[in-house]
Amino acid sequence: MKIIGHCYINPRGAFFNGQNVLIATEENYLKNYFSELKIDYSKFYKMDLLSKGAFLGDYLLRNSYKDLLHVENELQFIFANTSSSKETDIRFIESYERKKNPSPSLFVYTLPNILTGELAIKHKWFGENIFYILTKFDSEFFNDQIVMSFLRGNEYCLCGWVEMTGSPEDECFMFLVAKSEVVNENFSNNLNEILNTYRNE
Amino acid sequence: MERSLKCYLKYGAIISPLGDRIEEHYSAFLENKSGIKKEGKIGFNSENFFLARIDNLANSRYNTLLNQACEKLIQNYSSSFLQNPKTGVIVSTTKANLAAITSDTFESTRRIIDEIIHPFHEPIIISNACISGVLAVNTAADYIRLNKFDQVIIIGIDVLSDFIIYGFQSLFALSNEACRPFDKERNGISLGEACGILVMMNTPDDDCIVEVLGGASSNDANHISGPSRTGEGLFRAIHKSLERSGILKEEIDFISAHGTATTYNDEMEAIAFNRLGLNHIPTNSFKGYFGHTLGAAGIIEIIMCMVSMEKNILFKSIGYTEIGTSERLNVISENQKVEVTTVLKTASGFGGGNAAVLLKCIQ
Repeated sequence: MKIIGHCYINPRGAFFNGQNVLIATEENYLKNYFSELKIDYSKFYKMDLLSKGAFLGDYLLRNSYKDLLHVENELQFIFANTSSSKETDIRFIESYERKKNPSPSLFVYTLPNILTGELAIKHKWFGENIFYILTKFDSEFFNDQIVMSFLRGNEYCLCGWVEMTGSPEDECFMFLVAKSEVVNENFSNNLNEILNTYRNE
Repeated sequence: MERSLKCYLKYGAIISPLGDRIEEHYSAFLENKSGIKKEGKIGFNSENFFLARIDNLANSRYNTLLNQACEKLIQNYSSSFLQNPKTGVIVSTTKANLAAITSDTFESTRRIIDEIIHPFHEPIIISNACISGVLAVNTAADYIRLNKFDQVIIIGIDVLSDFIIYGFQSLFALSNEACRPFDKERNGISLGEACGILVMMNTPDDDCIVEVLGGASSNDANHISGPSRTGEGLFRAIHKSLERSGILKEEIDFISAHGTATTYNDEMEAIAFNRLGLNHIPTNSFKGYFGHTLGAAGIIEIIMCMVSMEKNILFKSIGYTEIGTSERLNVISENQKVEVTTVLKTASGFGGGNAAVLLKCIQ
């Protein structure tokens, strides 16, 4: 198991492999980063917070993807958070309780795994995908999931902790892991160190 | 994966509009009794729709249902089994306790399971739309094959709410009659609510009915809320499941399809089954009995697959009279007494997800 790239996005900045790439200058930081990165992908604007976060994280990881362009079946998405799609859920409830008009475009984002669908569409990846709800980021949990995924025959795991509810504490931590012959016993510790460094930036 | 570590399933519990015992469900299915009923004034503009609603759930529908199902489970399993450090718990749910949206919709799931089952480990919660239940079974099998757990309690649950009803209504996905999977006249989903519990073991006992041969998931990479026109994800999920199971498609006796009864979903499934050369195999959708129960669907439908295998009977796909997909399928139109050994269960859902699992009867 080898981490071939990682990134982190929060309302203050965006980072790739430990380097600060962007600093937020506007309150709407996701739109801010999207504009700064000059990405041409109009679907971005209709996405919910979780999908936007994962989309930008995926974009930051693009330099790690160079060798993966041939992969369509053997890359698995493993994502998790605590609050599921809470921000969109509340907005959908508002659409029928207050605005008296249940919004189908909000409803389709009231499931956290939609973000994996967005990434699959963007890259034309047909691989496995799963979304877990955890009380907090758990590196050992991710370790187990990745081990199982590789044993099932997958070659790469794109993993993400996307806890975003519209709060100052929002964070999107993503990492790309490749199968390797070398057993990495420190994988969980490495992952924790990477995330803690980002959180303390 | 250590292929030597096998996994087997037995019944845990089931609560649906058709009853709260396996035997009750068997009787209802023998009579092709549906849990779906017309419910007045439940749409956003007070329209009537057809739902599979459980009577007598108190105000807190989700918590009450989870509580009742866990209580049923512990009647049949010892505390030393439930609390064993090698017993895991996996929960499949899309919305959990939506009533707690301003705080934490998943808190009550952990609390109720802790209070009643007292498991050693905190439950692992999967929220991956309508394929969550099948993913939960495949994930449980992975934990056993990795030797992390010796047995896993797998809970699938979701309840009806205005949120879900208005949401599917806003997508024009609700049927104006009881849902009719794969039928020419189908025009949408009937929503339902249920809780199903399966118990997975690494060593079979007399109560184990099936071995879980293997499973997989695959994304359509096509659309976040519409099924693929080519059935690509479902095709790949089934293909991978067959490879991982080490069996031939000719061995499949029965397909428990997802069959939501929307125009596009059922068409997509028919295309995928046809591409795999599976369209002659007897196929049904259990949605005509339970409605679409979202996170519970995969679990309660696998429970009914186990009933089919245990009792050697294929159940009619309620609501079906004439094929309504461009590719022909062998949709089961009457209950049939026949030996059922190998079953393919599939699921597809929002986010482009598809999942499949192959089960083999060991009794």
